[in-house]
This record gives sequence, structure tokens and C-alpha cells, in this order.
Amino acid sequence: MKSKKLSEDIIKIFKGNGFVLSEPDVLLESDYIIERSGEKFRNSMLTFEREDGKTMCLRPDLTVASCINFLQKKTSSKIYYSGQAYRRSSKKGSGFINNQLGIEILGSKNQIQDDFKVISTILSATKKVKSKKIQVKVGDVSLFKSLINALDMPERWKLRLIRHFWRPNYFEELLKRLEKNTDIDAVTFDTDKKRFYEMQKMDQDRVVAGRSISEILKRFNKKIKDPRSFRDGKQIVKIIKSFLKINCKLSKLDEKLLDFSKKNNLQKNIFKDFKSIHNLKKLRQDVNFITNFGRDVEYYTGLVFEVFSGSKEIARGGRYDDLLKSLGARKNIPAVGAAINLKNI
Amino acid sequence: MKKLITIGLPSKGRLKDKAISFFDNNGLKVLQSGKERNYFGTIENKSNIKIIFLHAKEIIQRLGDGTLDVGVSGLDLLNESDKNLRDKINIQRKLDFGSASLVVAVPDDWIDVQTIADLEEVSFDLRSKRNSRLRVATKYPNLTNDFLISKGVTQYKIIPSLGATETYPFIGSSEIITDITSTGKTLADNNLRILKDGMILNSTACLFSAKKKAAKLQPFLNSLG
Repeated sequence: MKSKKLSEDIIKIFKGNGFVLSEPDVLLESDYIIERSGEKFRNSMLTFEREDGKTMCLRPDLTVASCINFLQKKTSSKIYYSGQAYRRSSKKGSGFINNQLGIEILGSKNQIQDDFKVISTILSATKKVKSKKIQVKVGDVSLFKSLINALDMPERWKLRLIRHFWRPNYFEELLKRLEKNTDIDAVTFDTDKKRFYEMQKMDQDRVVAGRSISEILKRFNKKIKDPRSFRDGKQIVKIIKSFLKINCKLSKLDEKLLDFSKKNNLQKNIFKDFKSIHNLKKLRQDVNFITNFGRDVEYYTGLVFEVFSGSKEIARGGRYDDLLKSLGARKNIPAVGAAINLKNI
Repeated sequence: MKKLITIGLPSKGRLKDKAISFFDNNGLKVLQSGKERNYFGTIENKSNIKIIFLHAKEIIQRLGDGTLDVGVSGLDLLNESDKNLRDKINIQRKLDFGSASLVVAVPDDWIDVQTIADLEEVSFDLRSKRNSRLRVATKYPNLTNDFLISKGVTQYKIIPSLGATETYPFIGSSEIITDITSTGKTLADNNLRILKDGMILNSTACLFSAKKKAAKLQPFLNSLG
């Protein structure tokens, strides 16, 4: 019953900060989740087939379930949730049920203000239930994006590195290739060029397996013109690696980044989209900034943070501006949220 | 009386013929029932060995549940099966027939897509422009998942297929496919091309045995040269 009391205390704080209860459906359409999270996720869902042939699953995550609820039922945009999420884990001995307790601001119009609201609400909740020294670690995925866009390398490489930032193992593999100055596919195009000319004479709107002839030719053309390899791969990898080592007190961050830019002959203003992190100084709380952070969840797009009590992670969250669109929203709906890790409290 | 050993062999085609000659070459002459469509067989002068002719996929399943002690089937089918099942089966040895590759194939006219790196780009493109995933039709969802994800292709969706997978891209059921091929002819005849680095698995026929029965089977397996 102790945990029930804890949840109640935390919920009081959520409510006090203006968050409204969201009660998303327990059953969701599997296809919806796969479309968003990919095939890798299929095995962790608990699914069954309905009479009409649709595959349904128990909600695997309350953030995603709340977002779907928001889109379908037009619920309030500043919500908290408290309930069970269900998923299979490959770890032995771990159960199917996770109790999740968290907050989201969906359709977040004021980034700086909302980021601050989420993180400060979570902090006051954790402080209420946990007396041990609380520490906060933050990162910002968009900073990495700014760095990559400021470096001099082919567009294809930039996009590739940004796409795979959140998959550290594959990212390392990409860096190795980049270091060797070889593109992944240094192939010759001679045979295909013949077909290229033939295809130019075809009906450009014809579709081959979901792609129009004009779309295929356009990309082919772009590929030929894009440099296959370039000289400074090694230098660029060095810069990226040293960027990913930045780990400092938030108060020292400006200095640190300026120093980093200077050392690597980069322009001073490349990290300008940065106000949200700076604003966290107002928390009056020990905050560590780590560039190599938030790399295990694909949907984060900006600020990411974790709250620790001693060595235990007791809450985490971040900004995810693309999630709602990938769940079927017609336009971009920026969002930010966080969840308390009840197991560690 | 010696302990009974049950062996599963493929029930059809070249794989069946080759599996029978493998045992013949090891001095074990496979005798089939006089009735043409009967699924049981024996080995000449070995009353303790029973042969069952089964679908190659079924052989893996039955090795797992203990119905079969030994079996001949494809490495592709073993690797595609769930981990729980795989853990119950030993690969005794690879055999010199039934070789085929599981590959990633795209429509010939996708001339801009030559490698997995291209596929990765195109899939992210589809996702951001149309908010849809690249659909990959396959009879091998597990092997395909592992391969694509290890190569950074994450924005796709599996379309399970039971056969004639080569048609899928051209009837609107998927964009690309992965399939097993030995000569590549079926792919080529259906206007599909294997990606340059699109090899998922090199498969051959294998002699498998049930792990649980390892001790009992050892003398017999040793006798197979």
C-alpha cells in the first residue's frame, strides 16, 4: 500500500500544476503501434486477433496510448496518466505489467515554458517522495543536429548521422566508415546509366512498386552528382567524438561550447537553439549537461532529462515533436513529457 | 532390443532425393512403402530406425517437440524459427546439397537502389514524405528483421507471405521482398534484382538432431561417416 500512497502524493502535485487525468484505452490496434514504432517492437506487444481480423494489443506504453487518446478524442492537452502498461520483455523474470505514472504537454506551443513546466513538476514530485540527494542530467538531441549541419560533408552523410544518432551501435559503425573516407556504396553506375536513359523516355508518372519513375530518376541523378567520398572524414569524426564527450555542469556549458567551437574552428553561433536548456538554470538545482545522452529512445527530438536519487534513475522524459504526426496527426504537434519510475522509488 | 530412432526426411522434390542418397551413401538404404503416397519408410536391415517423410518446416517443429530424433531440413528454416525451438536442436553437420540464399530484392527499375544504404535512405524518405513505411514481403520475418535492423533500415513493415512473394511489389502488396533463391532465376524472371550487399543468409540442407536425445543418438550419429 506504500506505493499507492506514493502515487497519490505524486498525482496531487501533477494536479496542482494543472495536469488533467487522461484515461487512454487499454486495447489499441497493433498496426497503429507498428506503424509508429517499427517491426522490432512487434515481439514485445501482447496481442490477439479480433473477430473482424484486426490485431489488437494491450497498450504497451502510456505515452503513446495517451497521444492516441488525444488525437482520437480531443482530450485536454496538458495531461497526466496513472495506470498499467503491458509488454513482454526478453529479460528473464521480468513481468508483463509496468505501472506508469507521468505527465505530457501535447501540442506544446511555448517550448521554453513547457519544457520547464514538465521538468519542474517532475522535480517537485520526486522531491516530495524522495529525500535522498536529487540530481538531474540533461541532454539535447537538437544540439547534435546543429553540430552536424555546421560540418562540411556530403548531405547524404549528414542525414545518415542524424537519423541514427539514437542507435549508438550502428552510429559507431557509421563513424568507422566515415573515418575511412569511403561512402557505404562506392559503386559504378555504368550499366544502370543505360537504363536511366531508357527510363527518361518513359511515362514519368508510371509507378513501380510504389515509386514513380520521376522519383527514381531524380534520386539516381542526385546520387551521381553527390560526392562519393571526401577528404576530411577523419577530422569530422574527431570533432563528433569530442563533442559527444562534453559532460559538465549546466553553469559551465556556455564556456565549454565556446571552447569546443574555437578548438575545432567552428563558427561561434552554431549552437544557438539553446534557450530551453539555459532556462533550466532557474530550477535552482544541480544540473549536469551531457551531449551523449537520450540516445536510446528514437522519438526524442530536443531536450532529454533524467532525475536521479543517489544512483537510481527515478524519472525521465523529454521533448518529442514528431511523435504525434507519426501517429497520424495531420500537422506537426510538438509535445513534451516525462514519467516517474515507480520501481526505483 | 536397440532403442528406436525416428528420422524425418523431406517429403518432396530434390531435397527428398538428395536426403535419401545421403543415407544410401552412408550404407543406410532407405526403403519407401510400396504405396506411392505413404509417408513412412524404413532402413534396410535396421529394424530400430523409422523414417517419416514430412514438410521441411515440419521437420524442424517435430525435432523440437521430440517426435523426431534426427532430421534433414534447411538451415534457413532453423534460423527463422523461434529461439525456444532453435535451442532444442543441434546442427549435426551441413550437407552438400540444398544450397540457397536468403536475399533482399528490389524491382529492377529502382535503378537508384543498389545497396542496403540506398534502401535505408529510400525508407526514411517514404516515411517522412508519405508517413508510411516501406513494406517488405517475406516468408522469413525473423531473419529479415534482424538483418534490416542491423543495417540501419528501421522504417519498414513486414508483410508476411506464403508463396509467390516475387509478385508482391507489382500487385501493390509490398515495395520490396526478401526471398530464398538458389540460381536467382525466379527473381530475375519477375523483374527483381538482388541488392549488392543484400545477402541475409547462405543456407544449405543440414543434418539436425534433437538436443535432448544427444546421448542416445551419439552412436548412430557417429556411424554417419
